[in-house]
Amino acid sequence: MKLALDEHAGLDSPLHRWAAPYKIVGLGLLMLAFASIRDLRLLLPMLSIAGLVYIASRLPARVLLTRLRYPGLFLVSVIVALPLLSGETVLWQWGWLTLRQEGVQAMGLIVGRFLSILTLSVVLLGTTPFVTLVRAFRSLGLPAILADMLLLTYRYLFDLADTLAQMQQAMRLRGFGRRQRPARVKFSLWRTLNRLAALAGTLLVRSYEQSERVYKAMQLRGYGARLGKGRSDRPQGTAFDWWGVVIALISALSLVIAEALLNWQR
Amino acid sequence: MACCNSALTVSNLCFGYPDQPDVLQSVNLEVKPGDRLGIIGNNGCGKTTLFLLLSGILTPDVGHIELMGQPVVPGQFRPEVGMVFQNPDDQLISASVWEDVAFGLENLGFTPEQIDRRVAEALTLTGTQDLAQRPPHHLSGGEKRMVAIAGVIAMRPQVVIYDEPSANLDLRARRRLICFLQQAPDTMVIASHDLEFVLEVCDRTVLMNDGTLIADAPPRDLLSNTALMQAHGLEVPYSLRTVSTSQSAL
Amino acid sequence: MHIPDGLIPVPVALGGYGLTGLFTWYSLRQINRLPNPTVDIPKASLLTAAFFVASSIHVPVPPTSVHFVLNGLLGAVLGYYAFPAIVIGLFFQAVMFAHGGLTTLGVNAAMMGIPALIAASIFRLHIHLRRLPPKRAIAITAFLAGVVGLGLATLIFVGIVITNIPSGFNAATERAAILGLGLAHGPLMVLEGLFTTMLVLFLQRVKPDMMRDSIYPQLPFGKAPASEPRR
Repeated sequence: MKLALDEHAGLDSPLHRWAAPYKIVGLGLLMLAFASIRDLRLLLPMLSIAGLVYIASRLPARVLLTRLRYPGLFLVSVIVALPLLSGETVLWQWGWLTLRQEGVQAMGLIVGRFLSILTLSVVLLGTTPFVTLVRAFRSLGLPAILADMLLLTYRYLFDLADTLAQMQQAMRLRGFGRRQRPARVKFSLWRTLNRLAALAGTLLVRSYEQSERVYKAMQLRGYGARLGKGRSDRPQGTAFDWWGVVIALISALSLVIAEALLNWQR
Repeated sequence: MACCNSALTVSNLCFGYPDQPDVLQSVNLEVKPGDRLGIIGNNGCGKTTLFLLLSGILTPDVGHIELMGQPVVPGQFRPEVGMVFQNPDDQLISASVWEDVAFGLENLGFTPEQIDRRVAEALTLTGTQDLAQRPPHHLSGGEKRMVAIAGVIAMRPQVVIYDEPSANLDLRARRRLICFLQQAPDTMVIASHDLEFVLEVCDRTVLMNDGTLIADAPPRDLLSNTALMQAHGLEVPYSLRTVSTSQSAL
Repeated sequence: MHIPDGLIPVPVALGGYGLTGLFTWYSLRQINRLPNPTVDIPKASLLTAAFFVASSIHVPVPPTSVHFVLNGLLGAVLGYYAFPAIVIGLFFQAVMFAHGGLTTLGVNAAMMGIPALIAASIFRLHIHLRRLPPKRAIAITAFLAGVVGLGLATLIFVGIVITNIPSGFNAATERAAILGLGLAHGPLMVLEGLFTTMLVLFLQRVKPDMMRDSIYPQLPFGKAPASEPRR
């Protein structure tokens, strides 16, 4: 699982320089504005804003494309299902296959909003080192327990994914789950489930036992003496950071107002 | 097996990862049935990669691997080769030792009676019969190692690969492992940093460095070659050093 | 089964955040009342990561393969940490795989987390099934917890998707879709229940400490009896 979130956080761009707490607020406002778009005519402006932000972040296009690989199924099902099933105005018909206008529009909106919001999420995560991001969340009011859990979970996520991969490899080497089975070995769902439950259970037990050691090591370095007492410092923004928020706010508001006006017109 | 005069043949094997080319560079190796081959070399010399290739987990870029006269096809399960992982925790996934040793046998489709018999046999061979009903997670490091070995040899592989078998063992567990391996009749390939261990268990040694085979000789000859060992960042084991220094002092 | 960005209107997304905030706040308040609130943070974090990773295990069910949500078991093992753990797990799922999304994190966490808490309390009922042998009682409640954990989450998911997908579907199409999803999820729920049972029985055998929470729910990870020494 090679999905380190912040491998491009070391690049330099306006979005990298934008201090994390301000970036969270600014991009968050934009995401909400994107989510509120209901008018097809605003689709292009929304996609252009997302595209511009992405270009300004100087992240390689590959980063966005990898993130798009997993939700592909959702996109495909929306693209296929809606135009065929939803709406009354028939655009095109061929046998039982009917393309409906309302469905096509709804599909365009959903996919457009999805892509734009995802792009901003990728920019937020891709231009900020993870630790900085969590610290920023903390300064914006995220409780200390959650912040600690976020950091620790992130730290061990990759370890545990490797552990699972190793264990699965060991199981395969002892003949588990191969496709060409000798005739006398029948596929048994019950047995397979039981084995995989043992695998998942082993992973849980190993992480549980490891956490006992991790806690002791953390305690020896003073963990627990600090929590809840030390207040996180308030972010000190520069003019650049504030301007970022202002620009984001103006873009978000323009989209929302345009949406309201177009709605009212109708 | 009598049919083959070579247990394992590796010819002109090359392999690289996308971010790390040339992990192995045209490796040639032949292991005869009954050989006890030790592979030594520093971390990153390509030992573990070689093992993953031998067991068909990775696909070679160039080259050819044959196991008991049959080519190794990546992704295909070959019960003739068994691998004991460096960390036994990666291998032990069942709720009891007995079930864990039976795991591979069930996958091979043996009858319950055959499984019972083979598990009992493997546990006796590795001296772990008293642990049969214990959960593997609660065993000591040495016990886990022996159970992991039992799980592999129960499947009666022709070649057993051991990745750092003596790592993290206390002296008693290490001694028990050495005695076990000295008596085991299998063909084995052992990667180890524990040179004294290699000296006691193996009858042939290969030195690897940066993905190439540097030398291939009986352990005593290779490990006592001070110039060769030092040139590749290794040290002559203490038991051989005293002999050579006393000779040079004379 | 996550609600992606862009599907639901802003008020629903914000409502989800509100609900998730409420549950998280309540969970954290309970944790902060413990004598030492930090002691279980590493445990909860590693188990969050482990549950996250374990839910990627795929079971081949020819001709396809399925994976498990495990939210019922997570509720039972993590106690008060369950809700925060789900929030964090879904955050990583959203930012790493774009499963779910940042604007829908609140809705998704409520959709997974509330059923997890309900499933956890169903699992705890095994303490009251005194007439049955303990192993069977645990097996039965674990099965129900698995079924309910996934079942409730699916219901909420379908409800949200159907009410928020743009109008224009005729009633018949809508009913057919709901029926289809229900039929498809019936077997999945049974599998989830079976898998949860097997996993619980495994943990019960290998590391009973981990399940103590379900016996002493007021103490995460059940501090009551001294844990037995290793070996």
